[in-house]
Amino acid sequence: MSRLNSFRELEHLRQQLREQRQNITTTVMVCGGTGCQASRSRAVIDAVSDELSRQELDMRVRLCVTGCHGFCEQGPVMIIEPGNVFYCHVSPEDAFEVVYQTVMKGEIIERLLYTDPISGKTARIMSEIPFYRAQDRQILSQNLNVDPCSIEDYIVAGGYSALARVLTSITPEEVIEEIKSSGLRGRGGGGFPTARKWSESRAAPGDEKYVICNADEGDPGAYMDRCVLEGNPHLVLEGMMIGAWAVGARKGYIYVRNEYPLAVKHSRIAVEQARGLGLLGDNILGSSFSFDVDIARGGGAFVCGESTALMASVEGKVGEPRPKDVHTALDGLYHKPTTLNNVETWANVPSIILNGSSWFASKGTQGSKGSKGSKGTKILALTGRIKNTGLVEVAMGTPIRTVVFDIGGGAINGKLVKAVQTGGPSGGCLPVDKFDLAIDFDVLYEAGSMIGSGGMVVMDEETCMVDVAKYFLTFLQDESCGKCLPCRLGIDRMLEMVTDITDGRGRPEQLDLLEELADTVSQTALCGLGKTAPNPVLSTLRYFRPEYEAHIREKKCYAGVCKALITYSIDPDKCNGCGVCLRGCVYGAITGSKKQAHVIDAQLCQKCGICRSECKFDAIQVV
Amino acid sequence: MPPQTLDQILEGRRSQPNQLIEVLQDIQGDYGYIPKEVIQSVSQGLGIPLIEVYRVASFYKAFRLKPPGKNVLTMCMGTACHVRGARLLLDQATVQLGVKQGEVTPDGLFSVEHVNCLGACALGPIVSESGSYHHHMTPTKLRKLIETLRHQKTEAHQNV
Amino acid sequence: MLQYINVNIDGAIIHATKGTSVLDTAIEYGICIPHLCHVPYLSDIGACRLCIIEHVVNGRSNVTTSCTLKVEEGMVIMTSTDKIRKLRRNLAELLVAQAPNSRAIQDIALRCGVKEVRYPFRNEDCVLCGRCVRVCTEVWKARAIGFVGRGKERHVDFPFGIRPDFCKRCESCIQLCPMTITPCDGPMKPGKERLCGNCESQLIIAEQTPGSCVWCKLGEGFACGRYV
Repeated sequence: MSRLNSFRELEHLRQQLREQRQNITTTVMVCGGTGCQASRSRAVIDAVSDELSRQELDMRVRLCVTGCHGFCEQGPVMIIEPGNVFYCHVSPEDAFEVVYQTVMKGEIIERLLYTDPISGKTARIMSEIPFYRAQDRQILSQNLNVDPCSIEDYIVAGGYSALARVLTSITPEEVIEEIKSSGLRGRGGGGFPTARKWSESRAAPGDEKYVICNADEGDPGAYMDRCVLEGNPHLVLEGMMIGAWAVGARKGYIYVRNEYPLAVKHSRIAVEQARGLGLLGDNILGSSFSFDVDIARGGGAFVCGESTALMASVEGKVGEPRPKDVHTALDGLYHKPTTLNNVETWANVPSIILNGSSWFASKGTQGSKGSKGSKGTKILALTGRIKNTGLVEVAMGTPIRTVVFDIGGGAINGKLVKAVQTGGPSGGCLPVDKFDLAIDFDVLYEAGSMIGSGGMVVMDEETCMVDVAKYFLTFLQDESCGKCLPCRLGIDRMLEMVTDITDGRGRPEQLDLLEELADTVSQTALCGLGKTAPNPVLSTLRYFRPEYEAHIREKKCYAGVCKALITYSIDPDKCNGCGVCLRGCVYGAITGSKKQAHVIDAQLCQKCGICRSECKFDAIQVV
Repeated sequence: MPPQTLDQILEGRRSQPNQLIEVLQDIQGDYGYIPKEVIQSVSQGLGIPLIEVYRVASFYKAFRLKPPGKNVLTMCMGTACHVRGARLLLDQATVQLGVKQGEVTPDGLFSVEHVNCLGACALGPIVSESGSYHHHMTPTKLRKLIETLRHQKTEAHQNV
Repeated sequence: MLQYINVNIDGAIIHATKGTSVLDTAIEYGICIPHLCHVPYLSDIGACRLCIIEHVVNGRSNVTTSCTLKVEEGMVIMTSTDKIRKLRRNLAELLVAQAPNSRAIQDIALRCGVKEVRYPFRNEDCVLCGRCVRVCTEVWKARAIGFVGRGKERHVDFPFGIRPDFCKRCESCIQLCPMTITPCDGPMKPGKERLCGNCESQLIIAEQTPGSCVWCKLGEGFACGRYV
């Protein structure tokens, strides 16, 4: 394929590619995302490919290696069209049957279908699966039939038509107006109105401007951006191109965190392919717009998700944030006007251009008190102690309850859901009685949490909320750049106090001091990391204060987590003396004769958890 | 792919200070850590003060300043993995191997590290070893994994 | 050609030089805003956060550091509101709990109103103010020392921990270091650190007229703007 010199040539290529695929009767889509790869989907892909060659079906059947479909625990995942047949836990040995039965004869293989653990029913197609049914997969569905390493797939699916429309018939100011009417707000955590950021950069003097895609995704438990960037990098690129046109930038960077090698690889391939077709470079599609993109890798620092630290990192320096008295939209990368947006924000842009701002704004909430609400859909990473974990896309305004119970399927092992943690280390924990709250930037912020990047970790009765606060403080201490006093020393002292509490040395006055210190840090820290660092502590104190008090006054951890406050013991009624735990204990803490109830010596027990994970009779108790 | 030489890594990037992190990434990828002499050469090659290169190499977790063990066990300590018991895995590894995080065992076979989220949260808790992800780990599975790896190396040693 | 603009600091309309920071302007006019990492002839990094003030914009007040905020026409700044004094006091409390073994640090704590320390004392010998690094980098351009590591591991060091030969032992770093100004009775014994209170800070005067410069001894040994 050669360089495209006009909008017409792009459409011509699109026609050509579609015609070439007219003979394809069946498409087999296998997920090659990081999650399924960990479940060996590569071997499945190779096996299916071999089988198709052997049956000489290459010409009529298209094997498409796609990005993530979000239901990672069911991987490797395979979808077959026509029929939208959804297979899960596919193994390489199934390849022959899949090709022979389903592809060639159109018959369903029952044992590969998804079985709902609650109802026991099998689902034939994606939309029958409860996990998918309640979602609104505007962005994620685009991962379905696109091979991320194939620009042809993207073009066949309609890609780059938004860019073409913008370059031929929409002025930069009109683009910004359209984004403003759509109500798009930043999807990285800030929820800042995207159009306002773009206007500021557009109005800034100078002709050296930058756009940046923040793919640092540092929130632990969040992997939405990984999925979008790995699975559909051209979608993100197209969004960036439209944004660059709108603000007047000629250079862009995609900053990908070090821990996402596949996303780095796919982004690089996408950029090369776009350059090859002339969609990046000088005079794109014959217009006056010149724009190019480079990939910059992170070095393993959560703080580099903060815009000024990210820019310092692109400049080859340490990721230390600087004061933002002047916005980065005016003074950013190399002190030039820079528009930085999250992966998901960029990914929403092409569809807003194609479908119109009213389409986007028709989903979501109305907002109140001066806010215009939250529009469109949001991708959430639903993980933790629930049945169905994975990536979920819902319309803004969906209640938390729907996500946790209808999509997530409720708690595992018959436990009770206790809380949901949203927004990563900058967010907070919300108890079950707040689950009617909507997924909305302002609503969650008022409640003491935030949507953040979209991470949603579900916690049950066996999660200790004080331990959760300790976990986040430990994480933030590890990731703090250390420059400013309140963050460096404040987090340290908060962690010291919370550790006292989890280790049984807590004193009642520490709770008030914790709140006072948390308030000081949030008001005086230099950057967003420090300012939001107290949130996990503040929200757990707000909604779960009784747990803190139990740790302090009664020296008890009722969730059974804090090692200093729990004891492992064996329930003599459930123990049948099989001896598995005795053999597994490296500390020699378990004694007992065969077929007799065993006993744990509390002095020797180190609470390592091995016996508990080995016991098949649920006889190990933690009190 | 054989590791590149330092000259190859610096090619096309000389005297460009903003390439520092990319250069260090390539060195880390090929050599497993950033030796002291290399930091000096990078300082000269890119035209960055020595203290600045040292500073960047010590700031980012991706870069190690000391050689790692033959098997690097990386525990994911993300939130989703944490609520599924990742802490117990870390304790298991450090106790079983007798080292603290970031240290190498005396026989040079193992080092234990942690990472703050690999992005495979639905499969947690995750332990990564030489680029492959072991998912749904428990302390018992981890103990077996460590023993298997230890056995592999001693066998290979004996065969030589 | 110097340009002048008017800014409102604590109700006083001040004739400020365009391009200067709020902190420099305040000190110039005798309004003392406590600070630690600021040195008149070095760049400002906003690390210690002690110089925080309230910047009132459109009816909302933002807490920000005065050393990094440049003056602008019509700006309204408040340096000693109850909120600021409480925040500053809490920050100074963290500081002195971390490194009590220095007269300068003890003085700052008292100057900021610290009366009790509610955290266990530690005995660190560096508060990471960065004065040493900046003087070596910006004035002498030797670049012999710098910040190394991150977060809790952040510390000042030579490359690889070895003094390079381009360090000419000018000792400017030691001159500026707040930790080299020890308490009157000599260094406190480990385990016996405390909020001293005996040092000659002008605490009483500072309490009665918060914000006005008291020409304190701290400023003298400390290269405060009033003494340059």
